[in-house]
Amino acid sequence: MSRGVGDVERWTGTEHGDRERFLAPARGLLADGIRPNPVHVPPAAPLPSDPVPEARYLNLDPGDLVTSFADAVAHAEGVCHVVEDDVPDGLLDRIVAELGRRDGPSVVVSPEPEARAVGDRLAARGLAVAPATPATAADAALGVTSAAAAIAATGSVVLDSRRAGGRVASLLPSVHLCVMPVDRLVATPADVLRRLGPGADAPPPSLVVVTGPSRTGDIEQLLTLGAHGPTALHVVLVTGGQGASQPSGPAAG
Amino acid sequence: MSGHHQLAGTTLRGRTAEAVADERLRTNVARAVDRFATHRREGLEELEDPDGLRRAARALKQQVLADLPGLLERFADEVLARGGHVCWAPTAQDARSYVVDVVRRHGATRVAKSKSMATEEIDLNAALESAGAEVVETDLGEWIVQLADETPSHIIAPALHRDRHQIHDLFVDAVGAAPALGTEPTELVGFARGRLREVFLAAEVGITGANIAVAETGSIVLVTNEGNGRLVTALPPVHVVVLGMERLAADWAQAELLLTLLARSATGQRLSSYTNVVTGTRGDGEVDGPTELHVVILDNGRSDLLAGEYHEMLACIRCGACLNVCPVYRQVGGHAYGWVYPGPMGSVLTPLLAHDQPEAAELAGASTLCGACMDACPVQIPLQDLLLSLRRRKAEAAGTAERTAWNAWAAAWSDARRYGATTRLATWGRMVAPLAGHLPVGRSWGAGRTVPRPAERRFRDLWREGL
Repeated sequence: MSRGVGDVERWTGTEHGDRERFLAPARGLLADGIRPNPVHVPPAAPLPSDPVPEARYLNLDPGDLVTSFADAVAHAEGVCHVVEDDVPDGLLDRIVAELGRRDGPSVVVSPEPEARAVGDRLAARGLAVAPATPATAADAALGVTSAAAAIAATGSVVLDSRRAGGRVASLLPSVHLCVMPVDRLVATPADVLRRLGPGADAPPPSLVVVTGPSRTGDIEQLLTLGAHGPTALHVVLVTGGQGASQPSGPAAG
Repeated sequence: MSGHHQLAGTTLRGRTAEAVADERLRTNVARAVDRFATHRREGLEELEDPDGLRRAARALKQQVLADLPGLLERFADEVLARGGHVCWAPTAQDARSYVVDVVRRHGATRVAKSKSMATEEIDLNAALESAGAEVVETDLGEWIVQLADETPSHIIAPALHRDRHQIHDLFVDAVGAAPALGTEPTELVGFARGRLREVFLAAEVGITGANIAVAETGSIVLVTNEGNGRLVTALPPVHVVVLGMERLAADWAQAELLLTLLARSATGQRLSSYTNVVTGTRGDGEVDGPTELHVVILDNGRSDLLAGEYHEMLACIRCGACLNVCPVYRQVGGHAYGWVYPGPMGSVLTPLLAHDQPEAAELAGASTLCGACMDACPVQIPLQDLLLSLRRRKAEAAGTAERTAWNAWAAAWSDARRYGATTRLATWGRMVAPLAGHLPVGRSWGAGRTVPRPAERRFRDLWREGL
């Protein structure tokens, strides 16, 4: 089951049912054009050939993406820490204190360099730190990852399974700590999603835009955090001493 | 264990009467839809010109529908090229047998599901259970209705008709929660998290729907807040997607605009907690993710709508905004609609997709025609106009007795003299008017209404006499 990423020779899946027979009714009906609803006068609409417009976000300050991002993370019930060069000791202490004690490895890290650096520092504090796998992550209280990008308008971080070596580090532990340099901060979801496309721009097996911690409103539509994923999300944005960066593309996954 | 949709053998009037009599249900529904509607308004107000974006979203969905066969081929080819398997399923039965076959082939007995209206539509759980698999819904609301042996009452908040006390009691009765479990939402959610975590870790097959399928990369987009969509696509070794054939976007520009409108229209969030894009199976060097991916492309009556006067209904992105603003839904909740899709979108879709059930047609009447649904729809589906068309269709199909009655009424009241005669008749009939609701002809109309008693003297007589 080995296959390269984006190489020429890939194994392909199998097709079931009859494609032509499935599509024939739709093709036949559409061939005569679409019959409009006689009751309905359609509103004036853009032509199909017009480009799909991008939303403009009134909560976004294009001149200060860092502040917009931090505000948006908080709006989504996450916690954003804007730091100059490294995750401060005080912050690690606080997060560790909030975790409480557990048996087994209590921290899992993704193989991303930013995450491993934090993992090393937590190990030096005496915590059990393990690479993330489904088994280790299921028992961990804290998962540490980096991100392929962050989005200022929505306060989201973008997780790429190819970059992070999987999905579970950000998913199974009850606290997710995401550390990311500011040069991967972009303005809007379009700056991430509209760069996806065929060929080299294809998404990884799993690309997740994470906006705040896991939540549910299924009981009386009251916001309750930590439904299945993390109960808390900490995002550490490392500015490297710079202020807001210009909008730029996400670093390649 | 799965609830059953109960269109057959029931009437809209019967179901609504039952719902309206349930004060607790109405309180729960009204509270929920008010919260949703407020959040939606606030969410859209953060975007510049949200109506312009809705127009664009409508246009792009129309374009997708016009190009649908080609886009489906492109999508399927991309899935296949990434090692995914594709099943073309013209009917619900085709889709069910394929999924059951996948589950059987793996000898799977534990199936974890992430909320999917398409799988509700084809009644997939029952088929899997008869094949010997245990199926667990992992969306909290969906799990609650599964435990209660009910069906979802809202397309994005399936258990909105239940309050915390009812949910607490259900957890105690159905899954052995300690009676000491608190009724605070955090405690109830914590209990469900623990139970469902075991399900995710043990499941051999994960089944999801798809909010959007992106043709140019063969990607499936799953939007959830709880993270169940991520867990179902991260832990079980096999991932099965049931995709309604109309849920396509040609490219990522289209998908991005739809996602922006979907989250805000559904819950008012800037984005839902997890916008999860699945493209192919587990990659090299990844520690998790399914090693096998199956995408079942479902028609089940959709092609029939594609080029006809109801084609705009296929633009629906299932956000639930029309339910939350509907004065009828607010009073009766989702179960009164009797099938999978409630609210205004359900009143249009049900008669079209469940046309083999004669009871479905009367849902076109479950509307005040106020148009609030059209104003809320992120892709500007003319729901009110489609409901009117369905009413016309129903009237044309009505029996001769009903048509004769309407024709007689039309003939009587389109002429001043004949109109005057009927009002005089009404005055004479003043004493028997209170009985009108009990007469055979007036019974169905009069139920739930207070029949007005005609005045002693007609206005036109008073007018003639100078008042």
